[in-house]
Amino acid sequence: MSGRWLRWAGLGIALGTVVLAVVLASRFGGDPALVDSPLIGQPAPAFDLTTLDGGDEVALEDLRGDIVVINFFASWCLQCRAEHADLVASSDAFGEDDVTFVQIGYQESPSESLRYLEQAGTSQWTKYLADPGSRTAIAYGVFGIPETFFIDPDGVVVGKIIGESDAFTLGATIDAIKRGERPGQAVTGDTQQAPDR
Amino acid sequence: MSERTRNLLSITAIVLLTVILVVVVASSPTEADRVEHLGTQIKCPVCQGESIANSPAPMARDMMALVSERVAEGASDTEIIDELLSAYSGAVLLDPPASGATLVLWVAPLVALATGASIIVWWRRHPGSDASPEAEPQSRSRSRTLVGGLVLAGAFAVVVIVAGFFLQDREGPAAGVANLEGQDLSEVSNETLEAVVAANLDDPQISGMRLALAERYYEIGDYSSAFPHYLAVAEAAGASNPEVVTALVRLGWMAWDGNGEVETAIGLFDQALIIDSDSTTAMFLKGQVLWCGAGERNAAADLFSDVLADPELSEDSKALVGSSFEAVTRGEPCA
Repeated sequence: MSGRWLRWAGLGIALGTVVLAVVLASRFGGDPALVDSPLIGQPAPAFDLTTLDGGDEVALEDLRGDIVVINFFASWCLQCRAEHADLVASSDAFGEDDVTFVQIGYQESPSESLRYLEQAGTSQWTKYLADPGSRTAIAYGVFGIPETFFIDPDGVVVGKIIGESDAFTLGATIDAIKRGERPGQAVTGDTQQAPDR
Repeated sequence: MSERTRNLLSITAIVLLTVILVVVVASSPTEADRVEHLGTQIKCPVCQGESIANSPAPMARDMMALVSERVAEGASDTEIIDELLSAYSGAVLLDPPASGATLVLWVAPLVALATGASIIVWWRRHPGSDASPEAEPQSRSRSRTLVGGLVLAGAFAVVVIVAGFFLQDREGPAAGVANLEGQDLSEVSNETLEAVVAANLDDPQISGMRLALAERYYEIGDYSSAFPHYLAVAEAAGASNPEVVTALVRLGWMAWDGNGEVETAIGLFDQALIIDSDSTTAMFLKGQVLWCGAGERNAAADLFSDVLADPELSEDSKALVGSSFEAVTRGEPCA
């Protein structure tokens, strides 16, 4: 081994260290939501929630046999507002087709969610539910909203969209699940956190 | 042993046991301590590197409440952590375990340290090895350059692999969920197209998808589902001329075939022919309605003749229109 060899080795290690440092540093400030959901391929966490108006109870178990699309939303979430019309249209289109949309209010009171839905519009087929204490959101590993989960008729989580959805993405994902596929997870855009109050 | 001694021993034992009990109870963590301790291990999922115990975020407060509830229910620390791991994976721990992906981060500094120390030790033991390259034979110098290059390439390879690993995580997993880009529409259901159309009524670009959906309904004879979509395309400001012509022609045929409305059908075919006077489909179907609905054989024969004069007409269409032309000129009733 010579001094030249050592110089090459030193140069290589130094260069590698710098590049690795840049790569790791670039992760600071990154979106913590961009991680694989361990729920994909697992039984969907059960829930038993009341509707936003407090009138009914809806348990996930009651929806077994349907494809269930669970969307976490809030009135303060801009991306949720942007995707809302597509969720309503998709729920209307698939309402008679063994597909149930469930929208769960996230980090706000049921009355705030209801006021928002009165303006944004609703589908007669969708279940709009309240999640006191964010227990269901925590069970689903929600980092920020919107997040949308797809559950197959056997109750297994087979898909997740992080960020804004659109009617085509929602519909084509449901089509894929009907064909027996497991669409997996996709990141379509940013998510939002609840504002400090 | 005298009774006095026994009493003394008994009292001493009681005092000792009491002291031990007090010490044990005092040193045992309370539920609040456990909640606080667990809270410092769990990362607030909506924060940057903060524990749920230290974060004021609403989500962190909700998670602390959940931990507190589970502790009160008697769950062990492991059970509580596992419950959160099942939803959030290792991303919810402030100190992820040294396994799988995080193993690289734990091991890499140790490997780098050991390598660096080895080089320094070797260098100090062989101080004379830093000889001038000019003094070495050229072949040895070349081989050392080669070895050096390989080391450099190896270092780069390691960096690229590690960087790729982290960048892949940063970008999120592969998009398995359906995406509009490059999607084969033949695999898309009518419900999906309905939803896309309904959600994009104001989009001038939606006419193409709306027409495709209408055509699906038309081909299976579901006129009532096809009708509103054809009508919307025919009236859409953003639709292209070919799209409008197709919609008008289909509307005309459905008006005749579905409801027996001859005048309405002829009117719609004429509208299509105003936009595209060379539309052989509009001409042929108008001829069919004139023949079958209005008994105007000559007008129908003229239209069929015009269609047959089109040099671009396919062989199948030529055969279909030709048979109609022959039948109508022979005075036969329409098929």
